[in-house]
Amino acid sequence: MSQVDLSGITKTFGAVEVIRGLDLQVADGSFCALLGPSGCGKSTLLRMIAGLETVTAGHIRIGDREVTQVEPAKRGVAMVFQNYALYPHLTVAQNICFSLSLAGVSRAQQKEHGDKVAKVLQLEALMDRRPAELSGGQRQRVAIGRALVRDPEVFLFDEPLSNLDALLRVQMRLELAKLHNDLKTTMIYVTHDQVEAMTLADKIVVLDKGKISQMGSPLDLYNAPANRFVASFIGSPAMNFLPAKLRWSAGTLQASFPNGASLAIPAPATPAFDGERAGEVGVRPEHMGLSDTGPIRGVALVVERLGNTSYIYLDSPVGPLICEADQAVGIQPGTSVGVTIDPAHCHIFGTDGAAWPVRA
Amino acid sequence: MLKNRRTEITVAFILVAPFVLIYAWMFIYPTVQMVRLSFTNSPLIGAGKFVGFKNYIRMFADPTFRRSVWNTAYFVLLTVVPGTVVALAIALMVSRLRGFAQSLILSAFFLPYVLPVTVVYLIWDWLTNVQFGMLQGVLTFFAGHPVNLWRTIPLFMPGVAVITIWWTNGFSILLFLAGLRNIPQELYEAAALDGATRWQMLTRITLPLLWPVTTLCLTIQLILQLKIFDQVYLFAMGGRTQATMVMVQYIYEQAFQKNAGGYSATLAVALFVVVVVFSALQYQILRIRGVR
Amino acid sequence: MTTAPSPARRRDIGGWVLTLLSAMAAILWFFPVYWAIVTSLRADDQTVTDFSLIPLNPTFGNFLYEFENSKLPIWYLNSTIVSVSITVVVVFMAACTGYAISQLKFPGRQVLWWTIMASFMVPVSALIVNHFIIIAGVGLLNSYMGIILPMLLSPVTVIVYKQFFDGLPREFREAAVMDGAGEFQLLFRVFLPMNWGVTTALAIITFITAWNAFLWPFLAAQDEKMMTVTVGITAVQDAFGVRYGRQLAGAVLAGLPVAVAYLLFQRRVTQAITLSAGIKG
Repeated sequence: MSQVDLSGITKTFGAVEVIRGLDLQVADGSFCALLGPSGCGKSTLLRMIAGLETVTAGHIRIGDREVTQVEPAKRGVAMVFQNYALYPHLTVAQNICFSLSLAGVSRAQQKEHGDKVAKVLQLEALMDRRPAELSGGQRQRVAIGRALVRDPEVFLFDEPLSNLDALLRVQMRLELAKLHNDLKTTMIYVTHDQVEAMTLADKIVVLDKGKISQMGSPLDLYNAPANRFVASFIGSPAMNFLPAKLRWSAGTLQASFPNGASLAIPAPATPAFDGERAGEVGVRPEHMGLSDTGPIRGVALVVERLGNTSYIYLDSPVGPLICEADQAVGIQPGTSVGVTIDPAHCHIFGTDGAAWPVRA
Repeated sequence: MLKNRRTEITVAFILVAPFVLIYAWMFIYPTVQMVRLSFTNSPLIGAGKFVGFKNYIRMFADPTFRRSVWNTAYFVLLTVVPGTVVALAIALMVSRLRGFAQSLILSAFFLPYVLPVTVVYLIWDWLTNVQFGMLQGVLTFFAGHPVNLWRTIPLFMPGVAVITIWWTNGFSILLFLAGLRNIPQELYEAAALDGATRWQMLTRITLPLLWPVTTLCLTIQLILQLKIFDQVYLFAMGGRTQATMVMVQYIYEQAFQKNAGGYSATLAVALFVVVVVFSALQYQILRIRGVR
Repeated sequence: MTTAPSPARRRDIGGWVLTLLSAMAAILWFFPVYWAIVTSLRADDQTVTDFSLIPLNPTFGNFLYEFENSKLPIWYLNSTIVSVSITVVVVFMAACTGYAISQLKFPGRQVLWWTIMASFMVPVSALIVNHFIIIAGVGLLNSYMGIILPMLLSPVTVIVYKQFFDGLPREFREAAVMDGAGEFQLLFRVFLPMNWGVTTALAIITFITAWNAFLWPFLAAQDEKMMTVTVGITAVQDAFGVRYGRQLAGAVLAGLPVAVAYLLFQRRVTQAITLSAGIKG
């Protein structure tokens, strides 16, 4: 079986420690996204799984094999690179079958495997072309085909869609999702785009400066972010963070905002702390609404009308806010608006960024 | 990347082995031998006695050596700067052309560079032939009588210099063309809008921006011409070679005609040092220019 | 009243004048080669009497004479064997060595690279005497190996290859490694084929340099039967005074292969020269 186990992974480049003591299990057949901003170590982690980077400390197991010191080609993994890395002097067919040709597989067998892969990826018509003659999406598919033909236990994707235009990205996302459904092979996917991660992954691992910030299913991360970093990274437009003073009081959490308004948030009966603490209340734009009687008033700066919904960016005494509103709302920039907050969908964060659980 | 260290080293050694072998045998070993020989009085083939610095002392007092250094320097003076100027002029002319015309005209200037030196020699020997050469018309006009160019000592070096420039200019022309191509067209367009004349564009934009390439060209030519031998040897064949002796030629003469292996090695070391010093200087000058 | 020509038109006239001057300069520059060819096409007895710019009765007599009566065909063979051998060996060795220095880590790598860079500054002509001593010492004078061996030194080619391999994006190597490629497969099935242009350019320039070499082949092969054509045409004089037509026919024949190589592969030759000059700059 092809589950991937990382234990105690540490990576240093010279004097710089990029990843320390990282543990991760990727279930067999699942789609795992490594998500994070540039420099968080997600690509390095992927490359260590591939064998393209050495592991300073720790162990990697694929299936039931210890592969930490095994060469890349012998790990049973295949990788799709960000820039595809298609051999420019070879045709599509030759590119796909290159690994077979290196291993000395007969021409006939190469053709057989190549044709099978081409059928899955709809590349049959392009088999004799050179990469230079292909479009971005086609090159992407050839890169996938090259990985596919090796029948690996684990597929590794290094930001494969980042070089495609927006429309193509959506298309290829669907194809990747379909591919995973068909093959049911373990896939590990690196991206900085949270939409890709949310739509494709069974499990998302959010990385921040070489550490796992949180991991879980997309909806878990969306609905119950464990810290401010994950809360701000997942979801678009990003969550609003309102600085507040927090106090437990008889089954609710009282949040007092700088503008004097306060909010009662339903909370477990047992207080998590005594007295008053400073922190932040996180609210997603869709859990805010326009209301003249709302606790917070601000001035609308920009209104984005997307057709199916609108976003109002406003400046308020508690900071800049984004509020989602119905498309029918006819607010002009410069008008004074009031917003309400749905207390049932608030997230509370302490000054250290960790979330306090407010739902039982 | 994860690699098997032992395999990597083995493969690397296999890959570099042939080169290292040739390099050691045909470069390191002869260089060491040359230095060692320079301190002996050996004949060309065979052993000799260690004589310390006697060869070097002899060399510095040797009038033929001095003459060979002077001739070499004279030759360098005659070819390096004039050659670079000519190449620049030609490059400026050619860069204005386009397409097939440029290709054709460039070929005309470049072709001599790919010819062997002996072919160049025969071509020009015929052209300057004292009886039948086409150039005799010009020479006779200036001198009043037919001129045997290669037996007239004061004219020998300039003659060889002109032919050498004709022969090797292609290389410098290519360098200048590449340098010219690197100057953004927008600079000229902006200058035109500022009202610059053609001449001003040349002197204020082109030449200053070409300075790094010019330096490169000068230094490459300098180092190349320090090693001059072939043309001088060929054109002086059958005549008095002493007067026009150049450094490499002296090495050759001492080794193969005077059978003085040790002394010729000393001369070789001298040439070696001169060239290496100039090469190192070139490297430094270019690095500084690059930084600037 | 006539107005002065507009600046655009004035520049055009200047431009046309320059173009004309360029063409004239090119013709003058090419004249020596042209004249040599013309003379070689004249009948032997007419070379010293007929000086028309276009030969009145062009004939291949001189060429035939050279082919039948001189050692030219042998010299051609020698040149071909020597030049082709040198080209193949130098390019192959340089590709392997450049690859190893660029892509692999091994003890002595830095030292090797620095000595190659340093040797670039060294005049090989200072070493001819020692080359002679070595080659004579192993009894290889007047043999192909004797001519070829010292001419296998070409640090420039190694440096060009090393810089070329350095410039290839890392991803190609990684993709090939994940496909299971070993180092030799990487070199010969991925890196080199990705840009045959560089190899072609280096091969052509190496061939031309080898064909044109004079000093060393002159020293190494004093036996007329082993001379290369570049050496032969000046080393051997006709017994009855100089026959210019024949001599120039020999020159034309000697220069023909390299001239043709240049004209056919102009772009590659130019590329090779700018690559090697790029190292110095």
